[in-house]
Amino acid sequence: MVEPNDIELLLNKDLLEKLAKFQAIELEDVEIELEEIEFSVEGSGGGGISSPLLARLGFEFALIRDSANRITSLLGGPASPMGIAVPQMMPAAPGLAPVAPAAKPTELIPETMGVPVGDYPGSIVEVKLGATKTEGGTRAVSYVIGGEKVLPFFNFQAETPNKPVIALDVFDWPKVPLSKAVKMHFREYLEDTAEWARVCVDKFGAEMINVHLLTIDPLIEDAPPKEALKTVEAVLEAVDVPLSIGGCGDPHKDYEVFKAICENIEGERLLINSVTLDMDIEGTARLVNAHDNCVIAFTSMDVNKARELNRKLYDFVPKEQILMDTTTAALGYGLDYAFTVMERCRLAGLKGDPELNHPMSSGTTNAWAAREAWMKMGPEFAPRELRGPIWETVTGMTLLLAGVDYFMMMHPAAVDALKTMINQLMSDDKPAEPTEWVSVRM
Amino acid sequence: MPAKELSPIEIYQKLPRTNCGECGEANCMAFAAKLVNREALLEGCKPLLDPENKEAYDELWALLKPAVKAVEVGVGETALTLGGEYVFHRHEFTYFHQPAIAVDVSDEMSDEEFELRVNVLNDFSYEYIGMQLTLDMLSVRSTSGDPDTFAAAVKKASELTNKSLILCTLSPDVMRMGLEVATERRPLIYAATKDNWKEMAELALQYDCPIVASSPQDLDMLKTLTHTLEAYGVEDIVMDPGTAPNDHMAANLNNLVKLRWQSVNEEEEHLGYPILGLPLVAWAVEEEDTIINEWNEAVLSALCIDRFADAIIVHGISGWALLPQIILRNNIYTDPRKPVSVEPELVVFGEPDELAPVMLTTNFALTYYTVASDIESAKLNCYLIVVDSEGMSVESAVAGRKMTADTVAEALANFKVGDKVKHRHLVIPGRSARLSGEIQELSGWTVSVGPLDSSGIAKYLDEKWTPFPED
Amino acid sequence: MSLFEDIPVDVGIIYEGERIRGRDMQIELGGPREDYKFELVTAKPMDEIEDGRMTVVGPDLPDLPEGTNTPFGMVIDVAGEEIEKDLEGVIERRLHEYVNFIEGFMHLNQRYDIQMRLSKKSYQKGFNSFKMFGDVLMRLYKSEMPFIKKVQITFYTDPEKVKELYAGAMEIYDARDARARGMSDDEVDVFYGCSLCQSFAPTHLCVITPQRYANCGAISWFDGRATAKVDPKGPVFEIPKGALIDDVTGEYEGVNKVIRDKSLGEIERVQLYTAFGYPHTSCGCFEGCLFYIPEVDGFGIVHRNYKGETVNGLNFVTISDLTAGGRQVDGFHGLGIEYMRSPKFLQADGGWDRVVWLPEEIRDRIKEFMPEDMIPKIATEKDVETLDQLKDWLRERGHPIVDTWKEEPAAAAAPAVAPQQQMTYQQQMPATFTMPTMELPAGAVPGLPSGMNIRIILKNAKIKAEKAIIKVDKE
Repeated sequence: MVEPNDIELLLNKDLLEKLAKFQAIELEDVEIELEEIEFSVEGSGGGGISSPLLARLGFEFALIRDSANRITSLLGGPASPMGIAVPQMMPAAPGLAPVAPAAKPTELIPETMGVPVGDYPGSIVEVKLGATKTEGGTRAVSYVIGGEKVLPFFNFQAETPNKPVIALDVFDWPKVPLSKAVKMHFREYLEDTAEWARVCVDKFGAEMINVHLLTIDPLIEDAPPKEALKTVEAVLEAVDVPLSIGGCGDPHKDYEVFKAICENIEGERLLINSVTLDMDIEGTARLVNAHDNCVIAFTSMDVNKARELNRKLYDFVPKEQILMDTTTAALGYGLDYAFTVMERCRLAGLKGDPELNHPMSSGTTNAWAAREAWMKMGPEFAPRELRGPIWETVTGMTLLLAGVDYFMMMHPAAVDALKTMINQLMSDDKPAEPTEWVSVRM
Repeated sequence: MPAKELSPIEIYQKLPRTNCGECGEANCMAFAAKLVNREALLEGCKPLLDPENKEAYDELWALLKPAVKAVEVGVGETALTLGGEYVFHRHEFTYFHQPAIAVDVSDEMSDEEFELRVNVLNDFSYEYIGMQLTLDMLSVRSTSGDPDTFAAAVKKASELTNKSLILCTLSPDVMRMGLEVATERRPLIYAATKDNWKEMAELALQYDCPIVASSPQDLDMLKTLTHTLEAYGVEDIVMDPGTAPNDHMAANLNNLVKLRWQSVNEEEEHLGYPILGLPLVAWAVEEEDTIINEWNEAVLSALCIDRFADAIIVHGISGWALLPQIILRNNIYTDPRKPVSVEPELVVFGEPDELAPVMLTTNFALTYYTVASDIESAKLNCYLIVVDSEGMSVESAVAGRKMTADTVAEALANFKVGDKVKHRHLVIPGRSARLSGEIQELSGWTVSVGPLDSSGIAKYLDEKWTPFPED
Repeated sequence: MSLFEDIPVDVGIIYEGERIRGRDMQIELGGPREDYKFELVTAKPMDEIEDGRMTVVGPDLPDLPEGTNTPFGMVIDVAGEEIEKDLEGVIERRLHEYVNFIEGFMHLNQRYDIQMRLSKKSYQKGFNSFKMFGDVLMRLYKSEMPFIKKVQITFYTDPEKVKELYAGAMEIYDARDARARGMSDDEVDVFYGCSLCQSFAPTHLCVITPQRYANCGAISWFDGRATAKVDPKGPVFEIPKGALIDDVTGEYEGVNKVIRDKSLGEIERVQLYTAFGYPHTSCGCFEGCLFYIPEVDGFGIVHRNYKGETVNGLNFVTISDLTAGGRQVDGFHGLGIEYMRSPKFLQADGGWDRVVWLPEEIRDRIKEFMPEDMIPKIATEKDVETLDQLKDWLRERGHPIVDTWKEEPAAAAAPAVAPQQQMTYQQQMPATFTMPTMELPAGAVPGLPSGMNIRIILKNAKIKAEKAIIKVDKE
């Protein structure tokens, strides 16, 4: 035990008097603040100062410093490193060989790393999509999404409770503008939405189908609600996966069409895509609730508006039936905004914000709005048949890392890539061996 | 997070407070403000560098320094900063240094392939929102294991490019020969491991180069290595936690997240260093087609870019794979506090004649691209005035008085729109309706209020556009 | 809007900015050429209003000669269960918006300054009676502010009647202003929070009290109340103020709780009337910003429209960047101009006695609310340009802050900043702390040669011991 024998204490007169009287004083909960304290270690004989000693001393003081820092930061204060002067070697005693000045380690200094703690007061609600026969519907599967208690895929803190789900988009309008890379997979089915949906499920592994009802748009064909209903019923018949129903963006028409669909299709737990701040929020919400469906609350990249819309929905539909979509922008065209808004929403939900703890939804198909996804570019960027899908993949996976639980996508290769990645991220499988790469001929 | 807690007054009080102006600011408070925003470097204050002010300098440095050290690689114009980061989530402040992308070559490659790859490194460039996006480094690795072969490759590399280098071999003898021929270049040494750390540390000190500490899938050992290197006297360290191929995506994410979290949020010692990602491990897996390797690498690379890698090495050089990577890293490392803007100008769509519609929007990048995209997909022939709104969207710019009748009238005049068309009819975005009358009065142009959303432009023009509405 | 299908002109937000030129106008109501014009909203009990009743006193639109101007008064009586007198001003301010929504109808200014023009085009389309005008206004009011249940409007174009009622209107405006400014925080139980700017500043909330206007300058406590009534789930909401913690700094338990909840713990406390310690946060859309000048231990104020550098070399943008984003930054503080008129302005820091510089434009706007003796002592950009000049000026003018300059002004500044923050952690000392023991590895050290000393120096060390035993060595 190295004992300091030169410590300057803040002794006052009172204390000194007591000391004189009693010879020893015990003080409790002493706090000593020193601008500088010097320890002297006096030699008592034999041997030389070895570098292990000095290294060890340095190490031990580093421990003290670390402890002090940890304590201070636990208390919320700034970590102020205590300056520790590396002990300088004194000249060797006569007769002893001088020892090298630098205290370089000859062995590894063992360390262990801390693990981030994920202890959040809130958690994300779970939402069930689709209904199987036993659940009152006709689907072969239903999904539960959400339920996260930590940031996306921080597996070392908690298991990811539910797998994110991927839907493929189908449209009821054959003239929908699609890039070549996408169209080539669906060319024969554009006229038959149900068939299109079937191909998506059977051939391309869609876990859900998102039916975009574009023909109802007053600017396109202004198709009546009953036509839209027919389309949806045909798709329901053709596939056995859950459906989401996409409107056209016109607040009044969408409501009418959603009404027709909700009132005529019971028990399937459809996902209504979507309700926005400029729609009849109460009406839409009541519709969703009355028929046990779910709804996507859609806002444009604004955390506050997302809160507001959710707040307004809560009066009429339970939280467990609401997904949030804060808008997906393509890689290169606002992806960073989309990513950050989603990260913020997810983090807020985990931190206890009661208006943001919903599973999130993404229109990943928007990746195709990027010029680079579909345009013919110079030969150095060819082929676009790869460029497009990787564009959609990177857009989707970036948002997967931000916490998206429900994806609506277009290209089969991107769907496959994202599905694979989801499985990989949920498997938490450490490689048996480190991957050799430096000496590998590639 | 340090960035949030710092008060400019706190910083100011530790400065010399002479208001000498040598830093280029009007006074010390102004400099303190810049320091807090990390828009100025402490070294900018000359008096602070005096030995008598060392204590103040050290205190300020302790307050201002990034949790992830800024490690310099390379020399001269192509020198790079790796790391220098303060926060975990970009929205907590901003990220500062986008990950460097290194192209991979090895010492047994044919001259042809070697040169092809270096050419890609040197010439690859993509114009994006007024910036040229390029690649940054050349990673030369030894598959031969032979010191002379490696040295020859490094020499060739040095001659073919002046970008920064990474030298990759786990053999100190081979590394030494490589360093010998690249002494002027300050390359990044890959790497010190638990088996070779001492010799590699000696090399790092001798050649004054930054060095990677590599400990694949063992973070405790990684911290052991960094601590030991520090004690050895090595200051510039980069960490390699080991990148695994795609099947082990979870392990990759876990490593990146844990390292960055502990260093930035917990300020854990010995972990405050930049991280190296190695997506090229995707090529170490046998696949039916190299396209699959390249695709997998691009996906791995995106993971590294999204989550904290400060440098990455890639093997695939196809444009379709590199393009998403360089754009992704630009996006993620954009300062989220500053709206991205495009150049204010008069944009021509299609082939407008002198009676073609003239429309208006702001120079917020997202707004502009959305409007442009809608106009393009409708194949319209028209003019679009992009007004300088300091990068704000229409709604915000109008509310925040960044877009006003004055700025619009100014733009009309500066871009000489009147020379391009015979009429004087301007369509403004629906969300700027409030300004319609004022713009009309100031500019003399007839102003119509267009749709609220640019998706309605085509229909609006179709139904309502006429060059001479007064008739 | 389908609400107005029967109206011959369109009604919608896209007409908001429309201007009607003199030669295009059918009639101008009020305007600079008329001495007497006013618009007034009055709250009445439900039984005193006949819903939808429109009365015209004087000539109606067809009887007013084309292209002329006329004296004009407009009295809108409203009733609804939740309407009180205090909401009149808020409801009245909407007239500007609503009149502008009508195609071909322009409204400028407010209250006794109004200028309205109806275009010939709209008149010819059939918008040709005050009754129709009143009808549109009523529909807009009821749909936008559903707590308004009944509306009746009287239009005055008779010059005598307008003049007669004008005086009464002016009194009402004055009384309202006096009431708004006279009201104190103590008189109410509820403040209002506004989260409109949270998209840009996630942890920011304005706390709006009768004596503290919103930072953006757009929302008073009354506005907050009306807005929260109209849209209780919207961005403006009630904050029950709770128990008073400190009157001088303006800290309330209820406010702290709401702030903590809404910022998810990022902000713990807010003190409304100080720029140090736990100041009210700022977003980015504030009208003006307070900035601390350590060299003189005083505050400068700069507003958004101010161009160029302030006295300390920083401009508005740089100064506002320091506090924007929902942060609590000592000495840098966004505010609304109306807050400067408040009797509680910066009261914890010394109020106007602590202000040393502000732009001339602002001083002229709020002069009547500044202490008279301070006005000549506070410099503007016209008086000084540098900090040295400021120091001289303050000395010459006998500004109270000079008395605190005993020694180095900057040193005096130090205590103001540190204690409030640091006090919180010192109160939370751990109960126990064990000094780690230092042990040398066995056998590693043969021993130190005698006469050899090692000095180990710790700087800024804090040693805490559960027990310290001081013994006298008796030898």
